[in-house]
Amino acid sequence: MTTDSAPTMTRRQMLKRVGATTAGVTVVAAAPMAARAATQEVRYAMVIDTRRCSGCQACSIACKTEFEVPLGGVRSWVEHIEVGKYPNVERRMLPRLCNQCSEPPCVDVCPTEPRKATYKREKDGIVVVDESLCIGCAKCVEACPYDARFMNPFKGDPVKTKGNGVADKCDFCLHRISQGVQPSCVNTCQGKARIFGDLNDPTSEVAKLVDEFETTVLLREKKTKPSVFYIGAEYLEAKKDPKADQYFRLDTHRNERSSKRWA
Amino acid sequence: MLNRRNFLKIGAAAATTTVAAGASLNVHAVKDLPHWGNKDFSPGTGKRRQAIPSACWQCVTRCANIGYVEDGRLVKIESNVNSIRTEGVMCAKGQGAVNHTYDPDRILYPMQRVGERGSGQWKRISWDEALDMVAARMKKNRDAGTPEKVAFHYGRMKASHSKTIGGFFKAYGTGSIGNHTALCEGGKWTAQELTWGGHYDNWDFDNTKFVLNFGSNVLETHTNHIPTAHRLLWAMAEKGVEMVTFDVRLSNTAAKSKEWVPIKVGTDGAVLAAMINVVMKEGLYKGDGEEFLKYTRVTEDVNASVADKVKAIKAHVKGYTPKWAEKISGVPAKKITALARQFATTKPAVLVSYRGLVAHYNGNEGERLAQLLCAVTGQMDKPGTRMKAVGAGWKFPKIPSAKNVKKLHIFDGFPGQVAYPTHHVCEMVFPMIKDGKHGRPDMYIMYCYTPAYANGNSGEGIEVLKDEKLLPFLVAIDPFYGDSTMYADLILPDTPFTERWTAEDMVDPAQIGEFYIRQPFTKPLGEARDFSDVVFDLAKRLGLDMGKAKSHEDYVRLACENTPGVKEAGGFAYMKKHGVWHDKNAKPQQQVYNRPVPESKYKAKGVVLDKASGVYWKPASAADAKKGYVATKGAYKKYVAQNMPHGVFSGFAPDKVNKSGYLELWSPLLKAKGFNPMPTWIAIPEHQKMGRDDLILTTYKHATQTHSRTMNCKYLAEVFHSNPAWINPKTAKARGIYDGDRIKVTSDVGSMVTKARVTEAIIPGIVAVSHHCGHWAYGRYASGKRAPATDEERGDRDFKLKWWTDNGVHPNWVIPNSPDPINGQQRWMDTVVRVTRV
Repeated sequence: MTTDSAPTMTRRQMLKRVGATTAGVTVVAAAPMAARAATQEVRYAMVIDTRRCSGCQACSIACKTEFEVPLGGVRSWVEHIEVGKYPNVERRMLPRLCNQCSEPPCVDVCPTEPRKATYKREKDGIVVVDESLCIGCAKCVEACPYDARFMNPFKGDPVKTKGNGVADKCDFCLHRISQGVQPSCVNTCQGKARIFGDLNDPTSEVAKLVDEFETTVLLREKKTKPSVFYIGAEYLEAKKDPKADQYFRLDTHRNERSSKRWA
Repeated sequence: MLNRRNFLKIGAAAATTTVAAGASLNVHAVKDLPHWGNKDFSPGTGKRRQAIPSACWQCVTRCANIGYVEDGRLVKIESNVNSIRTEGVMCAKGQGAVNHTYDPDRILYPMQRVGERGSGQWKRISWDEALDMVAARMKKNRDAGTPEKVAFHYGRMKASHSKTIGGFFKAYGTGSIGNHTALCEGGKWTAQELTWGGHYDNWDFDNTKFVLNFGSNVLETHTNHIPTAHRLLWAMAEKGVEMVTFDVRLSNTAAKSKEWVPIKVGTDGAVLAAMINVVMKEGLYKGDGEEFLKYTRVTEDVNASVADKVKAIKAHVKGYTPKWAEKISGVPAKKITALARQFATTKPAVLVSYRGLVAHYNGNEGERLAQLLCAVTGQMDKPGTRMKAVGAGWKFPKIPSAKNVKKLHIFDGFPGQVAYPTHHVCEMVFPMIKDGKHGRPDMYIMYCYTPAYANGNSGEGIEVLKDEKLLPFLVAIDPFYGDSTMYADLILPDTPFTERWTAEDMVDPAQIGEFYIRQPFTKPLGEARDFSDVVFDLAKRLGLDMGKAKSHEDYVRLACENTPGVKEAGGFAYMKKHGVWHDKNAKPQQQVYNRPVPESKYKAKGVVLDKASGVYWKPASAADAKKGYVATKGAYKKYVAQNMPHGVFSGFAPDKVNKSGYLELWSPLLKAKGFNPMPTWIAIPEHQKMGRDDLILTTYKHATQTHSRTMNCKYLAEVFHSNPAWINPKTAKARGIYDGDRIKVTSDVGSMVTKARVTEAIIPGIVAVSHHCGHWAYGRYASGKRAPATDEERGDRDFKLKWWTDNGVHPNWVIPNSPDPINGQQRWMDTVVRVTRV
């Protein structure tokens, strides 16, 4: 019953066909491929296909439990955006996490010397925090335009950090991927909306998806060169979203006091 | 054999690589990660975490899961990639279940009340003392010849738990067992029992080409949630399958649909009736519909020809025109017609329905109308349609029942209130106890049940719980201190499901039974004990025989060792290691109704043909045979086959009620109770006489919570803890209400003050409030109140970081307990209210 009716189209054709049904998506070689770092062996990235996301928050909770993230902090979360006018109302689902930028503003402002506590790994592009070096100044948290970092009061030496804890953020589940296991958020996603892999490997799923679809990124104009690419979220880079004029509500499902608006 | 499409290399087999203890993190460039899951590592040390396959219990779906234990502590939960039900994915609730084990407000010791009920004063007692108390009270009632005065009311009790706990009370001799199903969707099941027999419709998203949805929010919540929801998402994303959703608000399911069709509260039945009208008028029943109608009853005459059936249906739906339905529902006639055509001609298509259709006064008929639409289009029990569901059939050890099991008649509504309460009417138990004319329990036990919170009319619920004259001895069995346990005289600390054994059986959308077990991730904390183990202890004290098993784990072991298939695969040892098993050679079930039955079966000794119903059955006596099939109590258990003009067939076998083996859409059972035997549009009485300023209050569920017991999971509460009343801007403006304003919502039974969420995502004329929020005593994360400590202070390092203070306002103070007159379903969505700005 399930096997006999498997479609005969190739996966590539299938993805193209589905892509064609969403408004305004054309198949164009996406800009991010050009940002491939010459020195980087591996460039880990994530593609988030929002057409597959039902906004269920499983990824938020999976991440929370995997790392026992303190209340008030988030490494990954899902925003809901309501726009439109009754009855033509949309609710857009937007999974969010650290964009593992190629030009990370957080790294720029890290003051510790001789080595920065937060840095972008040469070998795979993941932006990490070395707990033992972090002094808890929170400059990186401020600097991140995506509000993807937070101070974790349960980590670090309280004397060194003056009780502020250390900076914390998504690290693409380094402890899992290094053992060949998908990140927690990818693992749990019921829609298979999150796809993780090496953008520098043309045979990887992420590379193929970024190639096939015209993906969007958050705050492209800030030139952070994110490694998180969205499918089905054209509104992120639309010049003007007409629906947003009618009615707009953003639910971040996280502590609003610390949340910055990305839009 | 089940070769899932591997678009994204999903469903990778369980890992075979091992990691040396203490290995440090190292990165190597892997092309695409070979392992989807089923293994995890410590983020801090890189050490491999111990993986234990088990099953979730956050909701009734009970997905197979894997728990990861690190240094004896449960740290993470994921789906089991080897489950054919979940295919390796999991929802937020399942992920959040780690919070249950270490909830700082867990009850770890038996507690006895000191002071007034509800005053929060307790003393710790030993299990011996507690069980002596329970056994003594049970003995007293048994010796007095009134065992039925021991009432056991469960909220959730399934599979092997149901067998041992249920078996214990049956062995004792009480049939005063309450459930919660009417609070969920019991009415849908009754409507299915009246039509196609045993309940549960599986929506075959794997194979469908179109989804027509009346009031289901399957992408956020469902009784087979993740197994069905993920299949729908994949079908939409990978095959472009479209869904059209009728709902009063934009749920996430409606948001992901191709189209959200707003509809007036409780009028889905009118739209369904009109769709049937279109199908009949335009001849869209020809072919598949006519073929299926052979197995359908729409006339009193069980030997009617298909032509006669078509005539009867046409006559019945003649007045249900799209224009007529538009006036009632607000859905444009053109839209109704177009969708009817699309549903009828897209083969196969699946008709989806849930509480939006069913949790109303007219819910029974709504579901029956849904079944009729499926029948006339032939979109039933075939791949890609709504199909009769398949679960796992364990061979459970038997527990002998007492000879005379007596029961109080307070679980099925007042006499004459509900025609066919096949899933009981739990919301009327307290009103009936208050009334007193039908008996009152001496001992009322709440097991995984919070009546004050979960039933309607919370005020009345608390009133009853507090009153020692109404409930002389009140016992709560729960892992957590809560809104109802706070009124108990005695609390027994149950284990959360993360510390339990179970043999599990929930249905599989692939139409093959998946056998799976639950096993403890960690040892029970404190003195918590699984009540399904405690009953063995109680049985000893009461001199009751519990059969072969010595404990619940033993019971599960015996089930594994005796169930065909599981036994051969390796029994208990296999299940402990893998968690799941299914027969790789089993064929997915479909079309149960058109299997010819051989003469050897229907002409066997003792089998007779009941002329009125066309049922071949095996009456227990000549007297029963004379009474006839429909009139003989329990006759459905003796069903053999259905006689039809074109042969003798398996049909849609009956369950719980004596219906024929047809898909019965002309019901002598309903006729006998004064209802229209055919599915009929019924207007909701109170909505026909609303005041000019009146609104309707409806409730809804959210993807991060189940009805009443997940709000103590701090990570889930962090994401969703507030339940403002959704209100359309037009409706709000007319009352001077702006976003965030405090508003008062008043009904005939109570009032509440809450916040307004002014949104375009809801129809005018109503307010919608989620019922997950507004706990008044469910621990520090759900209600902001710590549970009364016993002899130690238990902390949680996160509590200081709780950044939200809004724990919501519970709508059930405002919602009356009110059943559908046919099936007893609690009418969550019908309450008439007045809303004003405070």
